[in-house]
Amino acid sequence: MGVVHGDLMTLNIGPQHPSTHGVLRLRVKTDGEIISEVEPVIGYLHRCFEKHCENVTYEQVIPYTDRCDYIAAMNNNFGYAVAVEELMDLHVPDRVEHIRVIVSELNRLASHLLALGTFGLDVGAFTPFLYMFRDRERILDLFEVLCGARLLYNYIWVGGLSHDFPKGFEEKIIDFLDYFEPQLDEYNGILTYNKIFIERTADVGVLPAEVAISYGVTGPNLRGSGVKWDLRKDDTYSIYEQFDFNIPVGTGTVGTVGDCWDRYYVRMLEMTESIKIIRQAVKALPSGDVHQALPKKIRPPKGSVYKRTESPRGDLGYYIESDGSPVPYRLKMRSPAFTALSVMGEIASGWMMSDVLAILGSLDIVLGEIDR
Amino acid sequence: MLTGMGITWWHMMKIRKNNVTLQYPEERWPRPERNIGFDFSEYNIIRSRLQVDIDDCIGCMKCERACPVQCIKIQTVKSGARGEDLQDISHTGLTSNGTKKALIVLRFDIDLSECCYCNLCTYPCPEDCIYMTGGPNSNKHPIDYEFSQYDRNELIFKFAKEVEEEKMAKYLPKKEKVEA
Repeated sequence: MGVVHGDLMTLNIGPQHPSTHGVLRLRVKTDGEIISEVEPVIGYLHRCFEKHCENVTYEQVIPYTDRCDYIAAMNNNFGYAVAVEELMDLHVPDRVEHIRVIVSELNRLASHLLALGTFGLDVGAFTPFLYMFRDRERILDLFEVLCGARLLYNYIWVGGLSHDFPKGFEEKIIDFLDYFEPQLDEYNGILTYNKIFIERTADVGVLPAEVAISYGVTGPNLRGSGVKWDLRKDDTYSIYEQFDFNIPVGTGTVGTVGDCWDRYYVRMLEMTESIKIIRQAVKALPSGDVHQALPKKIRPPKGSVYKRTESPRGDLGYYIESDGSPVPYRLKMRSPAFTALSVMGEIASGWMMSDVLAILGSLDIVLGEIDR
Repeated sequence: MLTGMGITWWHMMKIRKNNVTLQYPEERWPRPERNIGFDFSEYNIIRSRLQVDIDDCIGCMKCERACPVQCIKIQTVKSGARGEDLQDISHTGLTSNGTKKALIVLRFDIDLSECCYCNLCTYPCPEDCIYMTGGPNSNKHPIDYEFSQYDRNELIFKFAKEVEEEKMAKYLPKKEKVEA
């Protein structure tokens, strides 16, 4: 008797499913409980971001970039501001650069906390989710003090910032970091080295380095596969070359290189590195006026620019084509979560139904950015 | 696994002390009022809701142009006498900064259901009359973030003064007579 093959069953996961991290629909073909094919269906959150940008001025694009990757809005602001500044050949004061690095690294912490917390939730660990959200809340409180908004900041502007640090804000950041650093050990104890969590994630959804590179996967997902590639070091922008930090890569500690656990653990290690960067930046924070380089009217000269920055999800690129008017002629955003999702069909087939959500959670996608 | 249980147990022991959950309608975060909680050199920044002091508005429409979602609608008409008080339609001639107003604001609507709270409209205002409550004029209006309504139309806030049509008629541009 040979192996019995039943008919494939098509199953929809989402778009309204708590584990799809937004409005993502997965069309899954299953053979019993084994997944034979996964096809992500996207577009439920499409808001015509790129087309809309052709109708608003350069300043007015910034609130829309907030809404792309709403988990890490500072980094999106940052990437856009850096791109337009390069197009205009604008140099910003040193204090602005330092503050930008501090806030975007804080936002990276918040984003990774959300990613790891919900990943734990996807594989059944509820308590770490609450702990991580409690600490993420403190970062959001810091941002609220800073710019009045908790999620969609509109803080980093072209040529500067909307506000300077309030009085005593540096101490608040340091206080938070002092509180936060021991928490990382707690997360490691409760989730990272938990036997159940390792069983669920180690060796699951292995993403080999070649596949990751050929799909254009970037960020922690690529580094989890053992490729040492971080734009903050390799194609440095702003003032990241002044800081001393490491790029953690996945080593396959408990399983294979590039499995879900590696992608998880790279984010955990990256938080330590972000803390290091913030401490250095706060220490070296120069004084100055953050509004000094703000242009009265943003009218970049004719030309185009493609600038990429390292957002918490990876290589975030903005391509801007300018025709000399105050409105961008064309704006294209290269979304890191989009490429991360596209590799889903490649690595998820052959696994069990419950592993699909573990793999999806480990890729850390944000649908606002995928659909734009 | 025991480590994890140990951590959870440890947190359970000190649950009274480290409780971060707020029972919202009964207790709430302190509203960051002026110089409470933290101090900023000029004012606290908070984005709660848009507020307009219509007596200070000169009708320059800078906020309308700055808005990325076009949720601000302004209509103005020339007042004729620059900087003069017009008692019958309760129009003040001078702003609190002393600027002479040349325009009467007929309509100043903000649809807060469309507002994206980006704060871009408040920066270009020359008279600081449009602001998120808690901004430079936080002493005039309390910070207010609980303004949900049952009907979407009730979120359109009309800041212009309501004036009877007959009184307004002499300031409006005369309608051209259509020849029969």
